[in-house]
Amino acid sequence: VKKLTIVHLYPELLNLYGDTGNIATLHKRCEWRGIPSEVVPVTVNDMADFSTADVVLIGGGSDREQRIVCEKLLAQQKELSAWVEDGGALLAVCGGYQLLGHSYAMGVEILKGLSLVDLYTERDSPRLIGNVAIESPISEQPVVGYENHGGRTYLGEGVEPLGKVLFGHGNDGTSGAEGCLYKNVVGTYIHGPLLPKNPGVADYVLARGLEHAGMDAGLAPLPDVEERAANTVMYDRLMNGEEKE
Amino acid sequence: MGLRSSLAVAGARGTTFVLRNVLRRNASQLPGRVALAVDPHVLSELAKKIGKGSVVVCGTNGKTTTTNLMARAVEASGEKVLCNTAGANMLAGVTAALVPGRSCDWAVLEADELSTIRILPELKPTYLVLLNLFRDQLDRAGEIDHVQDVIVSALAASPGTTLVTCGDDPLCMGVALRAQAAGTKVLTFGIAEKLDTAPDRVPEARFCQKCGAELEYSYRHYAQLGDFSCPACDFARPALDWRATSVHVDEHGVSFELSGLRLDGPSKITADFGGTYMVYNLMAACIGSLLAGATVAEFQSAIDGYKPANGRLQRFDVGGREVILNLAKNPTGLNQNISLMLQDGRRKSAFIVVNDDYNDGKDISWIWDVDFERLTADPDIRLVAGGHRANDVQVRLKYAELPARIALTVSEALEEVRDTDLSEPLYVLCNYSALWPAKAELESIGARL
Repeated sequence: VKKLTIVHLYPELLNLYGDTGNIATLHKRCEWRGIPSEVVPVTVNDMADFSTADVVLIGGGSDREQRIVCEKLLAQQKELSAWVEDGGALLAVCGGYQLLGHSYAMGVEILKGLSLVDLYTERDSPRLIGNVAIESPISEQPVVGYENHGGRTYLGEGVEPLGKVLFGHGNDGTSGAEGCLYKNVVGTYIHGPLLPKNPGVADYVLARGLEHAGMDAGLAPLPDVEERAANTVMYDRLMNGEEKE
Repeated sequence: MGLRSSLAVAGARGTTFVLRNVLRRNASQLPGRVALAVDPHVLSELAKKIGKGSVVVCGTNGKTTTTNLMARAVEASGEKVLCNTAGANMLAGVTAALVPGRSCDWAVLEADELSTIRILPELKPTYLVLLNLFRDQLDRAGEIDHVQDVIVSALAASPGTTLVTCGDDPLCMGVALRAQAAGTKVLTFGIAEKLDTAPDRVPEARFCQKCGAELEYSYRHYAQLGDFSCPACDFARPALDWRATSVHVDEHGVSFELSGLRLDGPSKITADFGGTYMVYNLMAACIGSLLAGATVAEFQSAIDGYKPANGRLQRFDVGGREVILNLAKNPTGLNQNISLMLQDGRRKSAFIVVNDDYNDGKDISWIWDVDFERLTADPDIRLVAGGHRANDVQVRLKYAELPARIALTVSEALEEVRDTDLSEPLYVLCNYSALWPAKAELESIGARL
């Protein structure tokens, strides 16, 4: 029996903003539809096996942890890059998002990233913190969540943002772009976590993973009553006079 | 006292008088703000009226209960004590607490972790009690590393202060070792035996504070607290200065024997409230009381007379149903409340209320770090979600396969569980800003138990 393999990279290090919520969402939405899936947590002492992965999640961590993870993944850069080019579904949130690019900054130091997507991240103050809402082509409903980052991320030509900022700061606080979309990679500063109340994004990632697994990617609709309500309540609040932090 | 400080204190006293007698308001902070506006260093002047010493209590969870019990015990020993009982724990609140009266023997003060850097250099307390460090309010407090740095700096600026901290907590010990290296005297306490409690997740601090290797535990009590050691270096739980043994935790409360410094032998302490976390709070409160000259008997009498009035484990009768109100403002706090509910053998319901006001932290992603999945062990539990983020709580519970309704108030939550037997209690678990409206509502619709 074919199954969807969801690889969770370094949950013990990258767990700053409820990242397990994203994994729980992917897993449950498969289970509720009767799609066989398996979550494979990879710790820093393990070597990730991308040849069997269909979906990979990289979450957010503190600076120290982000650096450990990046060094670890740089050793597997070729394999990971080939997997991305082959259509693997990669969701990278916050610190994980910054790792996708050519470089990212830590204090005054510029560190080499994984160069999976043509983007780079500088650092500036203040930190961009607060609730966020964006309009995204991959989700019928607006995408809502929370952002908290010192990084300013700039996309290369030909890399689409995940969406347009309706409320909040986004990639750099000024361009109106939030996150990135490249092949089947979704990068974003939005946590909260991202997937539970943005079922459109969750199902986009799942569908891309199922395609990669050679499985039926036509997802049966789920009722999503609670998810949509949570999304709408926050969206309405943000659009109706919520003060931006 | 200099002219400026005298003016500052006079201004604070005037403010207190107006707030209490004219406006009939609580005077927990504003007098402190007034005094600080006149003299930013008024706290160091006020500290001079403390005759014997002061204890400052900080830590993510348990500050208010620990501080209040300690203050009561020291008072029971016949000392005159000043204390910020209302939990106003920033510089202004601590300053306001020291305004009343000409002198006192001891000051027992709760301090917000990040405020220690402003409080310690001025107050120069005899003891700083650091209870625990858990992840809390990332958007406001920042990461735990930052909180640790702040406490280390605060201790460096108050070299005479002895640090009393939880030896079972690797994060507290990370602070302790750095402070010790800089000359601070450190005393530690912990639970020195394996408990038969069900484990929860370790949300943070799995890693050695010195070398970064993953810590090993011979036993773990909850979160990151336990008998830890690093397989790669010498970082480990220290030889404890105070040890709790014969620990018993159940739905009726906690009991344990405390042994260590200033004690002749193992001394039994009991309380009819709390779970494992309360053992640590009681130990810390007892140790602070002992250091301030009180006896274990005086501490026990403080517990016996303690009726929590601040929404911490307060019990009410509403129309014949027991309603238990408690604060739960971060993953560890909620996880400990889940343990409390699972220890309660009765069928029950829970109303989980999460707000996202500034004081709560506007980022509620932490609800995904709570191990709600453990509640599936109780197939009869009924859940209701509340607060400004009720919908997010409902989604979180849905992904734990726990269906929940939404209610705006405690009365509405009671309405949702009206069909359950009156012998089944309702737990009302609130984060910070949600606690006060729930408490006020329960005081108006119910009777204190």
